[in-house]
Amino acid sequence: MAASPYFLLLLFLFHPLAALASLAPARSQAPPPRVPQKVQVWPKPVSISWPLAAYTPISPSFSIRASPSHPSLRHAIAHYTRLIRTERHAPIMAPVNYTIVGVPIRLLALSVSDPDVPLGPGVDESYTLSVPPNSSSADISSATPWGAIRGLETFSQLAWSSGAAAAGGQPIVPSDIQISDHPLFTHRGILLDTARNYYPVRDILRTIRAMAANKLNVFHWHITDSQSFPIVLPSVPNLANFGSYSPAMRYTDQDVRRIVRFAEAFGIRVIPEIDMPGHAGSWAGAYPEIVTCANKFWAPTAKPALAAEPCTGQLNPLNPKTYRVAQDVLRDLAALFPDPYLHAGADEVNTACWEDDPVVRGFLADGGSHDRLLELFLNATRPFLVHELNRTSVYWEDVLLGPKVSVGQTVLPHDTTVLQTWNNGAENTKRIVAAGYRAIVSSASYYYLDCGHGGWVGNDSRYDVQEKEHDGMPLFNDPGGTGGSWCAPFKTWQRIYDYDILHGLTEDEARRVLGGEVALWSEQSDATVLDGRLWPRASAAAETLWSGNKGSNGRKRYANATVRLNEWRHRMVARGIRAEPIQPLWCPMHPRMCHLSQ
Amino acid sequence: MATLLLRLLFLLGSPATLLTCAAAGASFPVNVWPKPTSMSWAEPHAAVPVSPSFHIVASSGNPYLVSAAERYAKLLFKEMYRPIVRPAINVTAGNALETLTLAVSDLAAPLQHGVDESYTLEILPTGAATVTAVTAWGAMRGLETFSQLSWRAGGRGRGRDLLLVAAGVRVEDRPLYPHRGLMLDTGRTYFPVSDILRTIDAMAANKMNVFHWHITDSQSFPIVLPSEPSLAEKGAYGEDMKYTVEDVKRIVEFAMSRGVRVVPEIDSPGHTASWAGAYPEAVTCAGKFWLPDGDWNRRLAAEPGAGQLNPLAPKTYEVITNVVNDLTSLFPDGFYHAGADEVTPGCWQADPTIQADLERGGTLSQLLERYVSAVHPLVVSRNRTAVFWEDVLLDAAVNVSTSLIPPDTTILQSWNNGANNTKLIVQAGYRAIVSSASFYYLDCGHGDFVGNNSIYDDPNSDYKADGGSWCGPYKTWQRVYDYDIAYGLTPEEAQLVIGGEVAMWTEQVDTAVLDGRVWPRASAMAEALWSGNRDASGRKRYAEATDRLIDWRQRMVGRGVRAEPIQPLWCRTRPGMCNAVQ
Repeated sequence: MAASPYFLLLLFLFHPLAALASLAPARSQAPPPRVPQKVQVWPKPVSISWPLAAYTPISPSFSIRASPSHPSLRHAIAHYTRLIRTERHAPIMAPVNYTIVGVPIRLLALSVSDPDVPLGPGVDESYTLSVPPNSSSADISSATPWGAIRGLETFSQLAWSSGAAAAGGQPIVPSDIQISDHPLFTHRGILLDTARNYYPVRDILRTIRAMAANKLNVFHWHITDSQSFPIVLPSVPNLANFGSYSPAMRYTDQDVRRIVRFAEAFGIRVIPEIDMPGHAGSWAGAYPEIVTCANKFWAPTAKPALAAEPCTGQLNPLNPKTYRVAQDVLRDLAALFPDPYLHAGADEVNTACWEDDPVVRGFLADGGSHDRLLELFLNATRPFLVHELNRTSVYWEDVLLGPKVSVGQTVLPHDTTVLQTWNNGAENTKRIVAAGYRAIVSSASYYYLDCGHGGWVGNDSRYDVQEKEHDGMPLFNDPGGTGGSWCAPFKTWQRIYDYDILHGLTEDEARRVLGGEVALWSEQSDATVLDGRLWPRASAAAETLWSGNKGSNGRKRYANATVRLNEWRHRMVARGIRAEPIQPLWCPMHPRMCHLSQ
Repeated sequence: MATLLLRLLFLLGSPATLLTCAAAGASFPVNVWPKPTSMSWAEPHAAVPVSPSFHIVASSGNPYLVSAAERYAKLLFKEMYRPIVRPAINVTAGNALETLTLAVSDLAAPLQHGVDESYTLEILPTGAATVTAVTAWGAMRGLETFSQLSWRAGGRGRGRDLLLVAAGVRVEDRPLYPHRGLMLDTGRTYFPVSDILRTIDAMAANKMNVFHWHITDSQSFPIVLPSEPSLAEKGAYGEDMKYTVEDVKRIVEFAMSRGVRVVPEIDSPGHTASWAGAYPEAVTCAGKFWLPDGDWNRRLAAEPGAGQLNPLAPKTYEVITNVVNDLTSLFPDGFYHAGADEVTPGCWQADPTIQADLERGGTLSQLLERYVSAVHPLVVSRNRTAVFWEDVLLDAAVNVSTSLIPPDTTILQSWNNGANNTKLIVQAGYRAIVSSASFYYLDCGHGDFVGNNSIYDDPNSDYKADGGSWCGPYKTWQRVYDYDIAYGLTPEEAQLVIGGEVAMWTEQVDTAVLDGRVWPRASAMAEALWSGNRDASGRKRYAEATDRLIDWRQRMVGRGVRAEPIQPLWCRTRPGMCNAVQ
């Protein structure tokens, strides 16, 4: 049994080289050892140069200053000043062979060349960071404030608490380090579904804070669904009054503004989604007349299901009132959410639910089609969204690729439409970009964080099988069975990390992939388990989308990432994120011993 | 009292909430988990307020019961449970409930396997309540039932903060199985004492009565043993990741005051790499990579962290004797779990002395027999029943003769092959604890934790089959609930099944996510083993249990247990609408 991390901390204090550690002028006694660079920043920066294993303490009077100063950075500077001053990160496996040199760092200077660039799609997030030797100040240079915020996060992760006497109880950061960093993809997000189950505002804020720590930059807020309508919209307050779970489970406009402001302060965009015309059962409380098949049992015997899961209801494209309400909703959303993107859903439109309505049946009997119904809906909402509200419309892939209901490309002009893929892995991404659309990748086979948790629908006799499933029985409960989860198995961090969202695309097609989002659908999640469902698996996507999943030799680096992710998860937990462990602690303490092949 | 009556009038005048729904099927407006064997609630259902001066009267003969009574009296007012769906119940403007009286006939009955846990709870409409039980432990079950029959009035009006309790209720209750447990592995991952205490508290709330503490494993040895302190010194993850003697005493006492037994397990001779820090001479294959050349047939352990006690090393017996002596001193329970699962041939074969022994014609089973024939009598000499994993008897490659593990002093815990292995165990005459991985393993279906695994990167791999989890898929609460642990047994064989345990192996679990992995799935087993998984007509009652479990999970969350949700909240307010079949 190896020594514990705490034991190691003690060990290096007595290490001959640690004994040389001193606040005296750098390299006065012996040169710091040349060791393989081991800087624990997640996601791993694109380029790090750190020739000597030497660290410098952070001064107790450490501060951060931006020039020119800019309101966009005010919150981030306050947050990171506090974090860097107070965090005493104790690594699971602390470095053992290093010296402490130089003068304590008292200032982190941010220089931003274009401080007025607004946060939005494609914004420049690059930065360079340097901690010069023998200087009491470190520097971050970036084109935009948003790049500077990424650099601040990196700096915070460089700091750790060695316990070395020479550091005087202060955290230390690598000395003479140069980092140059920028993201591979401009869209790196998390989707959170706050409709199947409600999440208090503080859980959303904590999630956004954790996203910033992982350099994720898009919070895709799937606000409403058939189960509930938690957002209070000023023009149509009855949607929440009659559609939320309870008065305590609503997001007021104040809540929303707080979330948007908080996110922006960390360089995170908030893309709101109000799913329509499907997934709209919750609208029926306020407006029963515009919702078809509401409050019906979802899976009637010997008939087609009325929804993909319990809780039915779709907006009726043939009722003019639908559009009055929908436009109010969209207008209010655009007023609350400044982001240029607005997600209007349009996934899983169910034909049987529409057919439940007599007017729709009449329309179909007169030669109308389901596709035409969806087209009517999109034509009455999308131009409003684009031209009146000046938003890029984001839809789920179904709108183009839906096996039962879809529309032609003319309804969805390329320049104002982004499609988000979730089925068929790389194949549907290819279909989207080959058709000329920009794509956001959320393949359920890799990026759905709810998968593999079994089914949640009640009264399900399939679990009641006592014997081992043998030939002739459908595989369900035994290994290889889904256990009731349509997108089983569970996506481990390795599965997520390994996904190449550009797989099979030409260079030209690849340019239209904006990035990806991991998605947490909340049928079996709420505030009690949120953190563990998201983290550190969202971190795996965060690194892949930031600096890739391959090493400099071009090979997938999941093996190397394992130890680093263990450390990063450990740090996130200390920062108040209840991320789940990916391995027994024994594994990071015995590097490579928990590999499948050594 | 006048004030109280006045407040009640306001309460009665408040309009019923929109969410109020009619009682469905066998459920009451307020339910108890696990569902009691027999419960009646006079109609129309009524409730009385609980007086602010409410107290529980317990005779002083049993300190554990006295502390339980105090705890539950506090819990009621601290909890003020708010149901998701407010019960449509008339509040009787009669006397408020002032006292709950506990009447126990055998206060001295010790907590042990098979102890009588039956009780009768009566809450009269006049506001008098009694729990009658044979033992203090049965009375504790009755206290828990009582606590679950209370809720906060809610709604509007001045009576909304009143604490109510169901009145006109009679519960007669007793468990189907005497052994209803949770196994927690603190060897892969250390859990702070506070987590263990919270878990035991939640177990008691679910009327579970055995905390099977899988204390050590190859990854760490967190328990400080007075005779063998170097095991933890060299084998624990860290200075602050050890269970001291005081910690253990605290845990055992805490559990005792909740009627929960603590059965300790020190797994051996397999799963012992963590002993090698202190005693390298007693451990084979320690420090070696677990899967040479990626070849499963050559594995040194079932998972990373290889090391087994060497049955040919004299040191082994010196150490295990001290370990068993210390453990049986620290843990008063009549069961001692000695592990003995997954003895891996490759690990023993890696040792030169064992190689020589095998070359001389010895067998791996003989090695295990040598070890077990030393350990089993040791355990029995300490007046304990020895519990082993099924492997000791059923492992195809390494097992022992039944003569070394006499059925009267041995219990076997099954985990492979579902009902098949339970049958093999009881047919051989052993008592069985059922922990079938296909139903009761709470870690399953979460993918694999082993690193550098290319299956996740290969679209043509067998990833789709199980996601890397050997026992996938994930066991949902319905799967756990539906398991009949005596399936396929004759009535006589079924007598030998003493109960079951859900098992929380912790390769991918630590304090950050413990509650959500365990609860409410452990609750599903708790009910199936307490009062069964069938209704009065003999049909499986998983449909009816769904809403009750959502309510119970809500109550557990209110009590500070971060249990995971089993459905969108929408489902609870629309009974039946989230079913697969209506």
